[in-house]
Amino acid sequence: MSGILMLGAILLPILGSIPIFLFKWQNRKAMRIYVELLVCAASLLVGYLLLRGPSAPFTVVTFTGNLTVEFKIDGLSTVFAGMIAVLWPFATLYSFEYMRNEPRERSFFLFYTMTYGVTLGIAMSGNLLTMYFFYELLTLVTVPLVMQTLTREAILASRKYLYYSLGGAAFAFIGLVFIIVYGSSIDFVYGGVLDLVKVGSRTNILLLIYVFAFCGFGVKAALCPFNSWLPQAGVAPTPVTALLHAVAVVKSGAFAIMRLTYYSYGTEFLKGTWAQDVVMTLTIITIVYGCSRAVKETHLKRRLAYSTISNLSYILFGVSLMTPAGLMGGLTHMLFHAFIKICSFFCVGAVMHETGRNYVHEIDGFGRKMPKVFACFTVSALALMGVPGMAGFISKWYLAGAAISTGEPLACAGVAALLISALLTAIYMLTIVVRAYFPPREFDYAAIEQVRDAKPLMWLPLLFFVIVILLFGVASRPITGFLGEVAAGRY
Amino acid sequence: MIFTAILIPVLAGLILLLGPEWKNRKQLCGFTDAALLLSFLAVCVALGTTKENEAVTLFNLTTGLPIFFKIDGVSRFFAVLTGILWVPAGIYAFGYMEHEWKEKRYYGFYLLSYAVLTGLDFSGNLITFYLFYESMSLLTLPLVLHNGSKEAIMAGLKYLFFSLAGAYMVLFGLFLLNRFGNTLTFTAGGVLDAALLEGREGLLLAGAFLMILGFGVKAGMFPLHAWLPAAHPVAPAPASGVLSGMIAKCGVLGVIRTVFYLFGADFLRGTWVQQVWLVLSLTTVLLGSMMAYREKGLKKRLAYSTVSQVSYILFGLATLQWEGFTGAFLHTAAHALMKCGLFLVAGAIIFKTGKTKVEELSGIGRQMPVTMICYTLLSLSLIGIPPFGGFVSKWFLGRGGVNSGLPVFDILGPAVLLVSALLTAGYLLPISIRGFLGGEESVVRPEKKEPSFLMLAPIVLFTVLVTVLGICPDKVIGYITEIAKVLIKEGMTG
Repeated sequence: MSGILMLGAILLPILGSIPIFLFKWQNRKAMRIYVELLVCAASLLVGYLLLRGPSAPFTVVTFTGNLTVEFKIDGLSTVFAGMIAVLWPFATLYSFEYMRNEPRERSFFLFYTMTYGVTLGIAMSGNLLTMYFFYELLTLVTVPLVMQTLTREAILASRKYLYYSLGGAAFAFIGLVFIIVYGSSIDFVYGGVLDLVKVGSRTNILLLIYVFAFCGFGVKAALCPFNSWLPQAGVAPTPVTALLHAVAVVKSGAFAIMRLTYYSYGTEFLKGTWAQDVVMTLTIITIVYGCSRAVKETHLKRRLAYSTISNLSYILFGVSLMTPAGLMGGLTHMLFHAFIKICSFFCVGAVMHETGRNYVHEIDGFGRKMPKVFACFTVSALALMGVPGMAGFISKWYLAGAAISTGEPLACAGVAALLISALLTAIYMLTIVVRAYFPPREFDYAAIEQVRDAKPLMWLPLLFFVIVILLFGVASRPITGFLGEVAAGRY
Repeated sequence: MIFTAILIPVLAGLILLLGPEWKNRKQLCGFTDAALLLSFLAVCVALGTTKENEAVTLFNLTTGLPIFFKIDGVSRFFAVLTGILWVPAGIYAFGYMEHEWKEKRYYGFYLLSYAVLTGLDFSGNLITFYLFYESMSLLTLPLVLHNGSKEAIMAGLKYLFFSLAGAYMVLFGLFLLNRFGNTLTFTAGGVLDAALLEGREGLLLAGAFLMILGFGVKAGMFPLHAWLPAAHPVAPAPASGVLSGMIAKCGVLGVIRTVFYLFGADFLRGTWVQQVWLVLSLTTVLLGSMMAYREKGLKKRLAYSTVSQVSYILFGLATLQWEGFTGAFLHTAAHALMKCGLFLVAGAIIFKTGKTKVEELSGIGRQMPVTMICYTLLSLSLIGIPPFGGFVSKWFLGRGGVNSGLPVFDILGPAVLLVSALLTAGYLLPISIRGFLGGEESVVRPEKKEPSFLMLAPIVLFTVLVTVLGICPDKVIGYITEIAKVLIKEGMTG
């Protein structure tokens, strides 16, 4: 029963989105209602499935031997699927307002909704092959979204995105092949599936392949040096940058790496090897690199994109610690960062939508003109910095705690990188806040007389995110307790 | 009761910030005044009714990370001092801010900062302390950049980012303590667990050093002092007063909590951390004084002086010896009163005459006699001349240095303090001398420019308090010695 429901939850948005494109939709409002209902229905279905708890694997197709398309729900799927199921309906509401005056609205909603189904597919994959399939599919359905505006810039960006992602997936594929050959199965099993008898003396080759696969999936997670597609893809409409390039797509990369590390290769095999040092070093470099670029960048959306690069590597850093505590820190940051970053992106998007201003130096005095938006932005900025009492602090707390517990010098260096990055985060986020609220004395408010605050469809999602951020900050125990169980493989 | 003490100024501040403009300036000031007094009253009641070391938990951030308050001797000392500074400086602002813009915003953030400082004083563990410490950096920022000039905004950002850099150094220590300590609750004598610590002393010492350096940012300790002379002078005068007087001392409070309540004095005694800390604080003492001596702007000169004087306090703490400890506390109180008073004087001069440079102040003493007499008395105290508060504190600091039993530093420390005292005289007294004796002789009856009662009263009050502290310091010394007895076992006599 639950197997059919899982398949249903994945196919509902994918197939349900086709009518958006098939019909002419004379009445735009009807189309919006249809899209929202579709997304909500899928989310409810996912919610129902997740609340029922872990499910048995459900095989859809068997190609040959143990190569199957298979779905299942375990702890990790619950976290990822739950996260996107909460975010998608709100992001869709926001995009109705945002896309109001943009051309090609139908194709936008077609792919936007389809992506939802594909991401659910990644979350609920039961084995590496299925995940790989949906992972490739994700690239294909999101390319049109990056291309949305059809400007030269957008086309270049989408081409770059396509090449990077496909290239990354190719490396990930090598990892898949080695698991097929040297693993006892390709299913996701907490602790890994490598068969040490088969591996024999080929440890170093397998470690190399692990690094390849890590980097391959790391392309989507914007691991340095494979990150340059992400800031460029910021030409897409804000709902895409916010939901896909801060949450769904990039976190699919991080999620895939979690599966690869904890459920396929296994931390027993990887811990303490040179491969661990290599990937951890890469994440540490990315943490600092992303932040420094964000400080230099003056375009608002690109600044946030660089910030995403850095924050994704927080997650990967947690994962690369190869301990349950590290995975828990990574999961916590994956969840909390999703809410924080989508909130700040939506705020910036609201500014762009209302005024067409894109750069940091253009928003002097906006705090007074757009009070709701900038109040939300301030909260997200503080949370991203990691002020105690907000979500960001909790996740960094667990990450740093996990790193220090390992006692490795490299992990301690990682903690230092987290703190340097926190300072840089403060710099690139708070300069925006200070500009908006404290313009220079000679600033003339008449110049921004016609600026209006965002419409309810835009700020209501923001309000929801802010509440969640604060709630996670002060009452995180139920959720962190659950994530701890998941990371220890007990759920 | 502790919650009420924090909640009152928060609510009042939010009403001011989010509420509409006030038509009547008098009512605005009256409201702020009432809120300030009420908050101080609530703090006093909280101090009176809460039992020593009774913990009041607010909520848990996450497992094992409670936000809670606790009142001990150090909290009492700092809470009372904060109130004594905050309320008069607030009243002074009613006079001073008349010529500034956006008064409502200023009072709003002023009240919020008071709430945060109260929370900081009452924090029972490091994470609570850290929470309020970071909030303090964020909420005092609007006070620094209040006048909205480009210079002020840049200085404000500099202040913010230096402070946050310090806060993140502290956070590193916090992570380590959480791993290697029994608890994050402030415990006299330290929280380190010898069993967990085994073989990790080096890492822990590095953590302790980072925390001292991090809190030292707020206290203007070299090498992270550069923000202070930029940020303190650009703020409106009453804000400069409390920034130098109290906010800088919050860094000191952080160092006290770190050294005596988390790591424990015994853990640090004789290590490289203590040595480097001593060197840094003495460097700052000398450097600040020399910069102040060279500086031409009055408020900036006072800011450099703060750099130097707050490091006196840090030096006293770094001796890890009870006399130095007592001296540090005394100097915290004395310097808070003196420096706040001096900044208020500088503000009064700016308000009445618009003069900001030292050389313009010839003959100012004949125009503003009461103000300048207060200035002179406060200066004498800051130099360390009896019978003022500054003498008592420096006496103890000097003795702490001599009796510390540290090679080199037992002579070098007091010597540096003396040289700096000489420089202090050199940068403060010429203003008095030229103020009273210089200027155009031909003006027989100079125009009187004494500031209004609202502005004059706080200045006089601080002068009186410093004098009282200098004449009968026994009660305060006794109080501090009680604290020191628990924290520092070594070398206690009587």
